[in-house]
Amino acid sequence: MDKNIKVLVVDDFSTMRRIVKNLLRDLGFTNISEADDGSTALPMLQGGDFEFVVTDWNMPGMQGIDLLKAIRADASLSHIPVLMVTAEAKKEQIIMAAQAGVNGYIVKPFTAATLKTKLEKIFERLG
Amino acid sequence: MSNTSGVHVSLKQAKQLVEYLEAGQQEDADDLIADIQNPINTELFAEIGKLTRQLHDSLMNFQVDSRLSDLATADIPDAKERLNYVISRTEEAANKTMDAVEAIFPVVDKIQKQVKEVNPLWSKLMHNELNMDEFKALCIDIDALLETTGVETDQMKTLMTDVLMAQDFQDLTGQVIRKVIDLVVEVEEGLINMLTAFGITSNASTEKSLPKVGDNLVEGPIVNTEERSDVVNNQDDVDDLLSSLGF
Repeated sequence: MDKNIKVLVVDDFSTMRRIVKNLLRDLGFTNISEADDGSTALPMLQGGDFEFVVTDWNMPGMQGIDLLKAIRADASLSHIPVLMVTAEAKKEQIIMAAQAGVNGYIVKPFTAATLKTKLEKIFERLG
Repeated sequence: MSNTSGVHVSLKQAKQLVEYLEAGQQEDADDLIADIQNPINTELFAEIGKLTRQLHDSLMNFQVDSRLSDLATADIPDAKERLNYVISRTEEAANKTMDAVEAIFPVVDKIQKQVKEVNPLWSKLMHNELNMDEFKALCIDIDALLETTGVETDQMKTLMTDVLMAQDFQDLTGQVIRKVIDLVVEVEEGLINMLTAFGITSNASTEKSLPKVGDNLVEGPIVNTEERSDVVNNQDDVDDLLSSLGF
């Protein structure tokens, strides 16, 4: 897995962005940007060469699930793997995210080990 | 004195009747006769009168219950402030903790790096393969390592005390939240009393409704996962669900 890829972390809480950023850095990812909701994230993705997105679901403005759908609907972004890290725990929502093409789903509260495992699984599948 | 219909007339009532008739008060006399014939109606009217008064009183009390208006104008806004305080204190604590942790990481990295540098020569020493020049170099490296470790562990202690002290939010926010819970309980009781006063019992809707959800079923963290069948309990449940979908 290439650790130099550009990663976008999307969460409305700055503390959660900071936690995810620290965990990613510990896993070797150093090129990390942040956005506080889907509507800020989408133009960043369209303007940059991001290769991985970690997003929350429940955010003001554009929610994570809608960001995921927008990424999958945009031909230039649809290849980007998206990992959902959220407190949303309804089975219906997890199914909804899977159908929308999510690459991984982590429920909060989560551990550093869970994040590591899911990341490895995602990149392993991408080859 | 009694008759077969069960109507009782007292000597007092008879005298009163004679008085009315003698005074030409025909209407009063008729009313008295009606009362004597129909004591049940009187009781019924009295009871309705009593109930009406009670209802009136309770409605009046309801309006003037200053506690209720205090709740709406003072306690609830105050609770909002308290909850905002909880958000800012917890955010502050999280940031303080992460400041310290982020400052500790490079310190640990530095020590790890120096240990790595010492390692090859040290292992040679342990295997009696060290020459004099290498021994001198090793001494210099170890000297530097001891120096760094001494200074940096002091720094780490200070930072760890910062992490420790950042946890003081728990006590403060705990007290604040407990107060808000008390308020919620009071409002809940008030609402139940109101529903009861209007004759709506809570049993009327025995079917327990689920919390309101927003767009895309958004509900936030589920605090009673054991009592719900529509949610996952943990990451294993998520993984199982996804793999059952062929994920």
